[in-house]
Amino acid sequence: MTISKKARYLRGLKASVPVIIGFVPIGIAYAIIARQAGFSIGQTTFMSAAVFAGASQMMAAGMVSQGATIITMVITTFILNLRHLIMSTCVMNRMEPCPIWLRLLASYGVTDESFAVFTTESDDNRDVYFFLGLISGTCSAWVFSSFIGAVFSSFLPEIVSMSLGIALYALFIGLLLPSLTTNFRLLLLAVMTAVCNSLLCSFMASSWALIVSTLLCAFIGVFFVDLEEEKKEAENGQQ
Amino acid sequence: MDSNKIMLLILGMAIVTFIPRAIPAILADKMNFGPKTEKFLKLIPYTAMAALIFPGVLSVDTARPVIGIVGALVAAVLAWRKCPVMACVLAAIAADFLLYMFM
Repeated sequence: MTISKKARYLRGLKASVPVIIGFVPIGIAYAIIARQAGFSIGQTTFMSAAVFAGASQMMAAGMVSQGATIITMVITTFILNLRHLIMSTCVMNRMEPCPIWLRLLASYGVTDESFAVFTTESDDNRDVYFFLGLISGTCSAWVFSSFIGAVFSSFLPEIVSMSLGIALYALFIGLLLPSLTTNFRLLLLAVMTAVCNSLLCSFMASSWALIVSTLLCAFIGVFFVDLEEEKKEAENGQQ
Repeated sequence: MDSNKIMLLILGMAIVTFIPRAIPAILADKMNFGPKTEKFLKLIPYTAMAALIFPGVLSVDTARPVIGIVGALVAAVLAWRKCPVMACVLAAIAADFLLYMFM
């Protein structure tokens, strides 16, 4: 069955909805820090569109307030976002072949969240148009919530914005857990990674700990996890 | 920090963030992995998500780890029962909202 480009794009857009909810509070939180650091409304919004990486934007805005140099902030950003090299590799490896300019466009939207949604989607949704739909939703939500945050710095009551803090974690849990229920060894691998990351976090920066534990545990997983088994069960479950 | 410096900072950050994202897009045609590497790449989403969740979820509210734990448990129970991701997200937010109301 072939589905039009537009339909695939819309499917991706629909898949972005859970991410959008998670982006709103973080976008607003980032904007508040950026405004305090002396960014204009335009600069606050422009940074979200140009960089599109929440954690590093918040870090940079905070460092500006502390008087850090530009070069320090750029290097920190690079290290913090190096994980996207791994995530983009997974996304591109999964994506059906397409022209390079479309892939480059898609790569701009590789974030923790779009990577997580795309790599856990069913095999029908492996094309670039799905991914472009997904990142259209996530990126516009990110830019828009930064703008809203910059304009109305105290837009949300504190209790609401605090409660929204769990959203992205709930998103990752919602994406990760269903595959673990049918594959015990994969579950074991996920627990092992969480433990490994916690240990590493105690003696290195969390951005490095994330990269090291992700790669190390995926490597160990190659030798004991059986992905085919999980796939068969998932297919049976869908029928 | 003046306006020009802020723009310079934004552009610098944009470039160093885009490079790691773009490299795999450029090399995608030349990437041809063996079955072991392929499996390694397929496992990364699971390990990356596990690492993104834990221990970060404990510091959703740095002063009160219980906020992260309760929210995560609610999301986990729904996800385990194969509820849509959207339901997990909304239920976790609602649980934390209630927790804040009564704390």
